[in-house]
Amino acid sequence: MISVSGLTKVFGSGDAAVHALRGVDLEIPEGDFVAVMGPSGSGKSTFLSILGCLERPSSGEYYLDGRDVNSLEDDELADLRNKKLGFVFQSFNLLPRHNVLRNVEIPLIYAGASREERRKRAQVLLEQVGLGHRLTHKPSELSGGEQQRVAIARALANDPLVIFADEPTGNLDTKSSLEIMEIFQKMHRAGRTIVMVTHEPDIAAYARRVIHFRDGEIVREEAKDELR
Amino acid sequence: MNFADLIQIVWENLRAHRMRAVLTTIGIAIGIAGVIAVVAVGQGGQAVIISEIEKMGSSLYFDISPDYMRGETADSNTFSLDDPTIIKELSPAVDKMAAITLGPMVDVRLPNSDKNTIMASLYGTNPDLIHIMNLSMEKGRFITDLDVTSHSRVVVIDAGLAEDLFPKEDPLGKKIFVQDIPLTVVGVLEKAPSSMMDAFSVRMVYTPITQAQDMLNTRVINQLCGTAVSEEALPQAISDSIKILESRHSSVSKSYMGTTLDEQLEMVGNVTSILTTIIGAVAGIALLVGGVGVMNIMLVAVTERTREIGLLKALGARRRDIMQQFLGEAVALCLLGGLIGMLIGIGGAFAIALAAHWPPLISVWTVLLAIGFSVIIGIFFGLYPASRAASLSPAEALRHL
Repeated sequence: MISVSGLTKVFGSGDAAVHALRGVDLEIPEGDFVAVMGPSGSGKSTFLSILGCLERPSSGEYYLDGRDVNSLEDDELADLRNKKLGFVFQSFNLLPRHNVLRNVEIPLIYAGASREERRKRAQVLLEQVGLGHRLTHKPSELSGGEQQRVAIARALANDPLVIFADEPTGNLDTKSSLEIMEIFQKMHRAGRTIVMVTHEPDIAAYARRVIHFRDGEIVREEAKDELR
Repeated sequence: MNFADLIQIVWENLRAHRMRAVLTTIGIAIGIAGVIAVVAVGQGGQAVIISEIEKMGSSLYFDISPDYMRGETADSNTFSLDDPTIIKELSPAVDKMAAITLGPMVDVRLPNSDKNTIMASLYGTNPDLIHIMNLSMEKGRFITDLDVTSHSRVVVIDAGLAEDLFPKEDPLGKKIFVQDIPLTVVGVLEKAPSSMMDAFSVRMVYTPITQAQDMLNTRVINQLCGTAVSEEALPQAISDSIKILESRHSSVSKSYMGTTLDEQLEMVGNVTSILTTIIGAVAGIALLVGGVGVMNIMLVAVTERTREIGLLKALGARRRDIMQQFLGEAVALCLLGGLIGMLIGIGGAFAIALAAHWPPLISVWTVLLAIGFSVIIGIFFGLYPASRAASLSPAEALRHL
């Protein structure tokens, strides 16, 4: 599913150059649930950005679902993000002026779905994350946990192959964090591939594999076979 | 993203910043309103003046003035009272001819009232003027040769003045005071349909030229006007007239110029076009300033919404989608401004026209041009901010706070 080798990323140039990634090799098979851990500045977020096609690597190879990502044009990457990838952010990143339903519809708009299709799909997804009764609320009227659930529904809009989550519980209390992680676990059980950055061991424990980053390199990897 | 979705997104985004959108719109509205009002009033005025000149005479009309181009002005030696008669006798090309002594602003009132003084233009002239100017009598008679030779204290008034002074009575035979001289009304001119002079509320009184000179205490004749026997004879009529005048007034060595109706029309057209262009250019600058305002607000929007742009890209927005969205907002702002400006401009044109008494000329083209122009301004000034928004890298934009 995901295969990277020799991945590097350098920000800036000359003396001011920052090496965020210094040659990363990783394989993520379909259906895997990977947690990426590491101290801040270790390159884990940059790594997620590159895997999520939000950023291009400075060098190295990246194959996603059999395609050479480096060779794709910007618009092809946009299509890829739209149809094959879903994102969940630490700060939810919902559009405050739109209601919940419309927030979930955005990826569907770019996918070219009709109005009725969009509405139906968004409604189904919001019901799946337990927000069927909050369709017309504005994000500001929801709790953090509820907002993150809207974001998850949005990430699932076009039934993506992979979900990328950057500290999805970073802004949530313990109870909400548990609820969110239960949803992630459900997604994982349903066979969806998940890559999640976190610095909380409790949260990382939900994953099947945990990868530790330090100074732009993978330093350690733990895997467990049984699901919690 | 289809067009309906684009419209909806643009509308939602503008609504999120209502105040800002409205204020930005005002700049464009003022510019468009200015352009439309100026062009409408200018074209309306031009049309009125031209129709007035066309009405004034046939294509046979010409007039002879002192040569303004050489800085000459009319004095008591420029023309003499018998010039028209002599010219008619000597030149076979000249049909009718009249001399005119003008009193641009004279007071007209009824004998018993000191109040209700009406301003009017006084034309001291000969009988021929009625033919030259295509005037026709509603009642009574025009000035006669006898009136001229005997300095008769008679006056012919236009229909507007007759209504002002004698709303219920027959003016014929009544006395009116012009410059405090009592004159007997002998004729009322027919009302010219939508005459400019009428529209401007300029009232006209016609007296024998000799009487006008007495009242104005002058011997100056301002100009001669006449008609040629045929269109082909028009140049001949003018050159004959000038030759005869030059020989008759050789002792004071005057020079004269003749003008035909076509030349007058051309002059009016030139002057009003220049005026319209100048004022239109000023309004155009206002439009430009409004456009810069739109660009400014769009750049602010791009900066403010950098994170949002990053998010939209992460969710699958292509470069074109972002471009369309921001360009759409800029165009919508300008179009909104253009529509508001159009309404204000048309309203303004009617208001000005109401005050100035001439109908505004608002052509479909003016309106389409203004709307089209506001769209072009939106595209022009929106292109840079939109392309800046579209070219942001998604990861970078998402890191933006």
